[in-house]
Amino acid sequence: MGFTIAEKILARASGKGAVRAGDEVLAKPDFVIAYDFPGYTDVIFRQMEEEFGIDKVAEPERFALFIDHMVPAATTAEEELHEITRSWGKKNNVPVYERKGIGHQVAAELGYATPGAFVVHFDGHISQLGTFGTLAIGVRRHLLEAFVKERIKFKVPETVRIDITGDLQPGVTARDVFHHIVRVLGPRSCRGMVMELGGPGIASISLSGRQTINSLAMFTGAITAIMNPDEAALAYIRERQRLDIDPLFSDDDATYHARHTIDVTDLEPIAVIPPSPANTRDLSEVVGTEVQVGYLGSCASGRVEDLALAADVLEGHRVKDGFQLNVIPTSNEIMEEAAAKGILTRLIAAGAFISSSSCDYCFGRMGVMRDGQRAVSTGTLNVRGRMGSPDSEIYIVNAAAVAASAIEGRIADPRPYLKGV
Amino acid sequence: MALANLKGRVAWIFEDEDFDVDQIVGVKNIKIKDPKELARLCMAAEEPDFAQKVRPGDLLVGNHNFGYGHPHYPPMIGMRQLGIAGVIAESFSPGYWRGEIAMGFPQVACPGIMGAVNRWDEIEVDWDSATLRNLTQGTELPFEPLSDGDQQMLEAGGIVGYLHARDKEEAAT
Repeated sequence: MGFTIAEKILARASGKGAVRAGDEVLAKPDFVIAYDFPGYTDVIFRQMEEEFGIDKVAEPERFALFIDHMVPAATTAEEELHEITRSWGKKNNVPVYERKGIGHQVAAELGYATPGAFVVHFDGHISQLGTFGTLAIGVRRHLLEAFVKERIKFKVPETVRIDITGDLQPGVTARDVFHHIVRVLGPRSCRGMVMELGGPGIASISLSGRQTINSLAMFTGAITAIMNPDEAALAYIRERQRLDIDPLFSDDDATYHARHTIDVTDLEPIAVIPPSPANTRDLSEVVGTEVQVGYLGSCASGRVEDLALAADVLEGHRVKDGFQLNVIPTSNEIMEEAAAKGILTRLIAAGAFISSSSCDYCFGRMGVMRDGQRAVSTGTLNVRGRMGSPDSEIYIVNAAAVAASAIEGRIADPRPYLKGV
Repeated sequence: MALANLKGRVAWIFEDEDFDVDQIVGVKNIKIKDPKELARLCMAAEEPDFAQKVRPGDLLVGNHNFGYGHPHYPPMIGMRQLGIAGVIAESFSPGYWRGEIAMGFPQVACPGIMGAVNRWDEIEVDWDSATLRNLTQGTELPFEPLSDGDQQMLEAGGIVGYLHARDKEEAAT
């Protein structure tokens, strides 16, 4: 029997000829990535020194730090945290990428998403590097192990294979594909396993869309997502990748925990109802619900095609008076491209508020809601209090639906706005 | 080193599948750091005197995919402050599981647990035989053995102790 891409990557990372799901290995992460956040990086840096007497990491080129939360700083404590990160990076000769955008996206732009590489972070949304055939896993506090030891103990996970067929209709996006997977297979369908996606339906989705799908893997219970890199993925990453290793691919006769095929031809836009990422419905079921806030951005969405789609919906319309539409491109590279293409100008003209790239609108640090307010959002999550008051609500929808809802001040189907575009 | 068996009463049964642990203290309290304050808030919205009823060694029971969503650490910091010694659930969300194992907090995946216990039953987690005993009802259920890595981390009391143990192990070889 053959092997999955995840098994092959972990075999490579653990220096073994072959490993199987269920084996426990000591694997050397090719890259160890983190963004600075209180309780994580500051604690890791301190524990490294005080508990383990480690002044400096041995191979600084394996490490990368991002400052993407609390940007710009709003309190002295935040700026002090950033300074701890900067000075640790300087001392360790580890790059600190600050004000470049959301790290999970910038990590791809900077080539940490090397096909065939094994990457760890504390945050699970790093799963989106799987777009490029990278096995990237959020290990929470276990990240300390990767800072203290060359190798981390890791149980090789099983894989659930999901083949997507069919092409998406206008106004339906990769975002909807992911939420549809949760709806069809359930929020624990990939629990503890790798979600491997493929099939003609994935091949016809852009790399940006694939990043969206892979970024949200955790809401199927998966520990990460991965795709066998196709020519489009390899072409994007070839000039950027940081390691000279061969990409890896699942064998045709690989052993999977389960295989599913999901057709998306007739898929409609989806809304994920508060307060759980498991509550997926057709958008049509909640059309008309009053909303006051719109958020277009995050590591999941907020790429050029999302911004362009929102601009298309808003063409010839304006954001309703009193509605707060916050648009935050996922990275500076994306923002620059959207600016060059005139997309930002169109969004601004329609009444959107544009901010430089930051994670802060997604986790309730900026653009927060008071009691009773309701948002449509392309953020990662809709749990209570995620964007401010625990008594506010978040409906997760695609970028086009955020824009349509901003026009109407209530949850709206974007498809009528896209006719003739 | 072997893990000591857990033995205590079922202090709470979380009936919901995909349970979001932040609800234990309430989202509005999720940024609180003081363990004593967190302990006082545990389940207070459901049962104001929960904190008074719990005894050290008591256990929590959960349904499928316990810890789904975006779990934070404060709820279980509060529960440990009350003396809660572990969580037994039908199954766990992997992010929650990793986070709590790294804190040295025992988690036991035990399919069938929801149908096997009532609140305040006395139960025992026997690590060696991977058996959960309901001492009140005189029944038992197998549970899923820990991986070696998770077992070592619990034995060491969490990630820091585990890494020290690995240092010693590597120095010895």
